[in-house]
Amino acid sequence: MTDFLSTYGFLIVTMIQAGLLGLSLYFPLQAGQLSLASPGFYALGGYVAAIMLTNPAFAGLRDALGNGVFVLTWVVAAVLSGLLGLAVGVPALRLRGIYLALATIAFVEILRVVSLNLSFTGGAVGIFGIPQSFGFQDRWQYIFIFGPLLILTLLFARQLERSRVGRALRAIREDELAADAMGVPPTQYKVLAFVIGAVLAGIVGAMSAPFLNTWNAKQGTFDASIAILAFVLIGGSRNIWGPVVGGALLTAIPEVLRFLADWRLVINGLVLVVASLYLPQGIVGALERLRRAPPPQRPASPPPLPTAEVKP
Amino acid sequence: MELSQFVQNLMNGLAIGSVYAIFALGYTLVFSILGIINFAHGAVFTLGAYFTYTLVVGQFENNGLLKGINLFPNGSPFSGQPLTFALATLLGAIGAGLVAVLIERLAFRPMRSRGADPLLALVSSLGVALVIVNLIQLLVGAEIYNFPSDAYGDTPPALSFVLGGKVVIIRTVQVIIFAVSLVMLAILGYVIGRTKIGKALRAVAESPSTASLLGISVDRFILITFFLSGFLGGLAGTLVGTAFGVAGPYFGVVYGLKGLAVIVLGGLGSIPGAVLGGLVIGLAEAFVPADYSAYKDAVAFALLFIILLVRPQGLLGKNAIQKV
Repeated sequence: MTDFLSTYGFLIVTMIQAGLLGLSLYFPLQAGQLSLASPGFYALGGYVAAIMLTNPAFAGLRDALGNGVFVLTWVVAAVLSGLLGLAVGVPALRLRGIYLALATIAFVEILRVVSLNLSFTGGAVGIFGIPQSFGFQDRWQYIFIFGPLLILTLLFARQLERSRVGRALRAIREDELAADAMGVPPTQYKVLAFVIGAVLAGIVGAMSAPFLNTWNAKQGTFDASIAILAFVLIGGSRNIWGPVVGGALLTAIPEVLRFLADWRLVINGLVLVVASLYLPQGIVGALERLRRAPPPQRPASPPPLPTAEVKP
Repeated sequence: MELSQFVQNLMNGLAIGSVYAIFALGYTLVFSILGIINFAHGAVFTLGAYFTYTLVVGQFENNGLLKGINLFPNGSPFSGQPLTFALATLLGAIGAGLVAVLIERLAFRPMRSRGADPLLALVSSLGVALVIVNLIQLLVGAEIYNFPSDAYGDTPPALSFVLGGKVVIIRTVQVIIFAVSLVMLAILGYVIGRTKIGKALRAVAESPSTASLLGISVDRFILITFFLSGFLGGLAGTLVGTAFGVAGPYFGVVYGLKGLAVIVLGGLGSIPGAVLGGLVIGLAEAFVPADYSAYKDAVAFALLFIILLVRPQGLLGKNAIQKV
């Protein structure tokens, strides 16, 4: 067992982490908001933890709190990410669809360039030698903090979906104008969903900085935005298990394909293409369909082509 | 700012801005027809540069699978002179255009015929970008190549003059980039505004279903759009490679992202918008003071963020009416 964990523990933790990041994008998506901002908050959370755990300015705090300082980094990362999420979300969520996606990409890129050029974030080199959480000896032990976070997040997401708020979010996703007309204030709920996602990504970042031992501007990039979006869409965007399954699988695939050596990244790209072509509802969506036989009837006529209407 | 510095920045900004413009036109053409953003456009940009490189140099020294293969044992017929270099550039851009057509056939059309979520097209085009970038890396190595700029590189500056006691230098390659971009824009403007193909393209952009009722083969015009898009992207790749003298597998990533900023700034789907957006971002970057040059890459995204908040439809975008 210990052999298994020391061999695959790192991968398993990374799979859980990917699922969590997928969920952070899933929350705003529940309200129909495509936000690619997760890597920005993830990077912010990681920097918060890295700085609090290594910067001499916080030495006194670390001595006073002992292991409690790790918990404190999660709290501080959550609060800062939530505040930044609020500051970005309120203006940005006036935008819809692809425009919101592009605005959040811009947000991630701006954060990246800024963190690359500040001195207390370590510039281009980043921050090194971040101490292990709670003195963990092995990387697999991070299951003990990422695992409970995943379970809590899933429970929270389920409760949210069943609550009044969840119904409001779904109403906004299906038809924002109608929801508004029925007395559901779209902006408040959209910002709420965005902030929940930001807080989650921030906490994941704060947990990941000790896990990775080093933190730099490469952690929050456009590539990460797309990777996380792929987790959700390939896994399935209509069910809380979608982002988890997608994140876990897409993280595992490059490892499983290791025997292909240099070809594995090419195959990884092909997997994305093929999955988006043949699993339009995502893996979880496809499984649900299978379970809910009878087979779906083919539509009589092909659906209309997407038109290029502009929705700001 | 001194006058000489101002003029120098202006010239640098116009040259790079015009490349941004023709690169971004490729994005915006596809968006105006399909309503999706083709994230593989940055990879097509890189491919264009590599195609030209292959034609001009014909061999690869770095650690890829093609290492040691020499395509032209008697020396490349495309190297040495500006005219043959221009021919290689043209062929490279055509190659990039054909790859874009292939991308449409393999990654977009199957999805379109099934009426899938346009978001999935985003992921699919990103998958394509991953495949292209990693194939390049596999075949010719991950290292950065010195792009052959001997066609223009050793020529003296096109223009240099003294202004207020300081020398202003305008490089030949800058003039060439600017001129090529202007010519491309003029041709594209003519094709889209004046020819039958252009009329059909505009009809498809307006409403694909109506266009197909009118007897326009929508699929064919989508292919034409992708070819034009890839051609412009590949051409931009070669021009940038020539201007900066380098190319690597990840060459197009930054341009891919900045191109997004350009088209949103100008107005998604708007052709004059892409040109204006390209020039605005090129100039804005050129005027970043030297002390803050580290923040240069954030300029495009800061402008993008601001414009989205102030005027989401972009500078020249139409004010869209929300459908109920």
